[in-house]
Amino acid sequence: MNPRKDLITIDALSDEDIHTILESTSAMKDIFTKSVKKVPALKGKSVLTLFYEPSTRTRSSFEVAANRLSADVTTFTVSTSSVVKGESVHDTIDTLMSMKMDYIIVRHKNSGIPAVIARHCKAAVINAGDGAHAHPSQAFLDAFTIKEKYGEVGGKRVVIIGDILHSRVARSTSTILRRLGAEVAYMGPGPLVPQEKHTGIPRFTNWEQVFNWKPDVIYLLRVQNERMDTPFFPRGDYHQAFGVTEERLRRIDDLNLSIMHPGPVNRGVEICDAAMDYRNCLINNQVENGIAARMSILYHLTPQTQNND
Amino acid sequence: MTNTYITNATWALNGQKLDLRMGQSGDEPTTIFLDDIPLEGVTGVTDAGEMKIPEGARVIDATGKLLLPALFDLHAKIEIAGCSKRESIYRTGQAAIQGGVWGMLVMPTPGFCFDNASTLDSFDEAATQRSAAAMIPAGCITEGMQGSQQTPYNTLAARGVSILSDAEHVTDNLLMLHRAMKYAAELDLTFAIRGDVPALTRNTYMHPGTTSYSLGLHGTPACAEEIGIETLIRLAEDAGAKLHIQTVSTAEGVAIIRRAKQRGVKGLTAEVALHHLLYTHENVGDYNTTFKTLPPLREQSDCDALLEGVKDGTIDCIVTDHTPCIPFAKKQDFVSAPQGMVALDTFLPAIYTYLIKPGKLSWAEVVRACCINPAEIATPYDHEEDTPMVAPLLLFAPDTEMTVTEATMNCGTLNTPLLGSTLNGSITLPLC
Amino acid sequence: MPTINQAEIEQALDAWATHLLNSTVQQATGKLAIVGLISHGDVLARRLVRKLQDAGCEAEYGAIDITLYRDDLSLRGIRPALKSSYLPFSPDDMTLVLVDDVCNTGRTARAAMEVIFEYGRPAKVELHCLADRGGRQLPIHPDYAAFKLDAPESERVQLTLQEIDGKEELTY
Repeated sequence: MNPRKDLITIDALSDEDIHTILESTSAMKDIFTKSVKKVPALKGKSVLTLFYEPSTRTRSSFEVAANRLSADVTTFTVSTSSVVKGESVHDTIDTLMSMKMDYIIVRHKNSGIPAVIARHCKAAVINAGDGAHAHPSQAFLDAFTIKEKYGEVGGKRVVIIGDILHSRVARSTSTILRRLGAEVAYMGPGPLVPQEKHTGIPRFTNWEQVFNWKPDVIYLLRVQNERMDTPFFPRGDYHQAFGVTEERLRRIDDLNLSIMHPGPVNRGVEICDAAMDYRNCLINNQVENGIAARMSILYHLTPQTQNND
Repeated sequence: MTNTYITNATWALNGQKLDLRMGQSGDEPTTIFLDDIPLEGVTGVTDAGEMKIPEGARVIDATGKLLLPALFDLHAKIEIAGCSKRESIYRTGQAAIQGGVWGMLVMPTPGFCFDNASTLDSFDEAATQRSAAAMIPAGCITEGMQGSQQTPYNTLAARGVSILSDAEHVTDNLLMLHRAMKYAAELDLTFAIRGDVPALTRNTYMHPGTTSYSLGLHGTPACAEEIGIETLIRLAEDAGAKLHIQTVSTAEGVAIIRRAKQRGVKGLTAEVALHHLLYTHENVGDYNTTFKTLPPLREQSDCDALLEGVKDGTIDCIVTDHTPCIPFAKKQDFVSAPQGMVALDTFLPAIYTYLIKPGKLSWAEVVRACCINPAEIATPYDHEEDTPMVAPLLLFAPDTEMTVTEATMNCGTLNTPLLGSTLNGSITLPLC
Repeated sequence: MPTINQAEIEQALDAWATHLLNSTVQQATGKLAIVGLISHGDVLARRLVRKLQDAGCEAEYGAIDITLYRDDLSLRGIRPALKSSYLPFSPDDMTLVLVDDVCNTGRTARAAMEVIFEYGRPAKVELHCLADRGGRQLPIHPDYAAFKLDAPESERVQLTLQEIDGKEELTY
């Protein structure tokens, strides 16, 4: 893999990059089986997590990944007050530059912020989710989970269900899966699924269409009410119309389909309780693979900090 | 000082060869009309080759050059963040002259908030002193452009304001606007407003399409602009007010205005910003904030329909929608960066290079849309001399090239996609 | 460029296996594991295990990727893809023979020992290699080297193997 400083989107990666990161993810996962779950690869390197949006899961997944590579992790808390005051991202970049960080992991509610930081920093910048734009580490862990389950991603059919419009997960995961030869479809409430002519991805609006399409994997997205200023769909309808109900779970079981979800799960909204214990529910695998995938990403990026210091 | 003679000029509107005598010392000032356009200070026009040039006279050989009235821009913002007002006025004036623009309608901005008499007075004074180009302020529709309380229209009109605009701000208070229109109609004021339904476009950043999807940016629906245009036309018609639709960006927007004009709606005019004729949403690429505009850049089919609108007269004017944004602001992420481009410095060369030269518009269409119509809508008036202002002439040399660089940009900021590109044509303005 | 061909390599491997059989190593503990360093060392290790088995000696096979333990990782721009280590047994109380293709600075062997100790505490560790080209930078020396090469520091010593590269030779 050619030296690459940042991971902002899947689109920016070559096929070789994608394959290499996935291949190393598998080796990273082996480390978890050792009695010492740590390797010295990033010893002495500093990793900063810079989250402008609250997220316990992604942040701790990155922190565990960095720890297992022996890096020093610093958490940069951006107070909501300074964001409200309109502190420019450039001011923050100046601060980060002075800290001489090697890796910066960014999450922000605005699409495009990590790219701006990456352009002005020597540190390797990893996009941990920006607006509705991209969430590439999630894409890698999803692709890896499917590869682990089925042996390969190519030829598999994955339907992503829920709020596609606001979802960076849908964008990044669909991109990586299609690059790896899988077919992807979108399903969700009308106002939340972009038109096929804009996405190039088949657009469904009900479960019958989904089952007729014969998917292998049902990928559920979290219904994010906090992102919606004005309601997009009637309250109280979602589970019956778009969730995995117990009845739908029986069909999913009959057809031997897998269920995935980026978490955290809204039980009783996207998914019924029983589905969480379903034999082909891969949600916990995703969490574990998330750490391995993020280790692989950290390992494969090359900060430009060491050359000049 | 003797008169200046211009020989072998080609009149842009009809291709006629002309010799002209301009500026006088002792001659009686007369106004000559050529193709219905008054030519300021021109005292004699003859067919090429017939003019006798006295010994020692100043002669401009205009062989191969085009003669046309200078352009009037109906939509410019001049405030530069971090610059003094005087500096903003000076720089914008320089930029305008370089781009072939002799005068402009200045949109209100927070620093030039034309909602009261004293701001207008001090602006007029500063503009007269500092600007090389005429600057006609557009009065605010509402106090502070807040969309709630009407400004003193009588007072503004008495200071020479003929057009009212809250710039990019669109109110959702239609009752207030309806009343404003009824009131201002009595004063023969024109309302210059952009079509929009604010509730539909809040937190949106670009045209909805493949690019907005992949960048994860919420799309500004075209229907919001179109509903807005339809609403404005109906309101103005009912109130009997003159209406100028600003920066139309969609094909259906053009169609709505065309239908209204065909229906015989009086006092209705419309404009398109040059960038909406030249660029599409795909130019945004990977979050290029230079291409963040309001309304957003749309599809190629919209560009085509807008051009068609200019040709058939549905769209009366091509404007710059000149909006200086400092580099710091545009270097932010796409969501936070301000909308707008600067276009005055490059206006006529860009129109020539991208519209006239490829045959998309004729010189006659450009003169109509950039010189005659906008001046007619703005009716610039010299209050000291108590006469209507008349456009000066400019000479355009189409065979020269110039590369747009930081050094050639006079307007004070660099937010133009033309930076680094080579444009055809050079401008001589003023002629003498 | 001097070349050691496939037949010579094969011959050397036989001698290597014989050395392992005769060495006191396995007699002392009875628990022997041949652990190859990815890549190439693992292939050699697998061949050695097979030869030992043919001779009636049971030895465990393992392979480890030491990339993450390299001390020059941050100096290198390019990060190679990682391979999965394969150590299906606990090294506790075993005799481990680390198999490398070419032994040079000693840094690879140092990293390999670090890896091994994260899996357990072996009774004894030996370092074997196909070729020892000298140029040590650490106080680590192979216990066994099939070939001792006198290659100048600037020359690249390269082993290709049938299983990986489709041809087999050692050039220097």
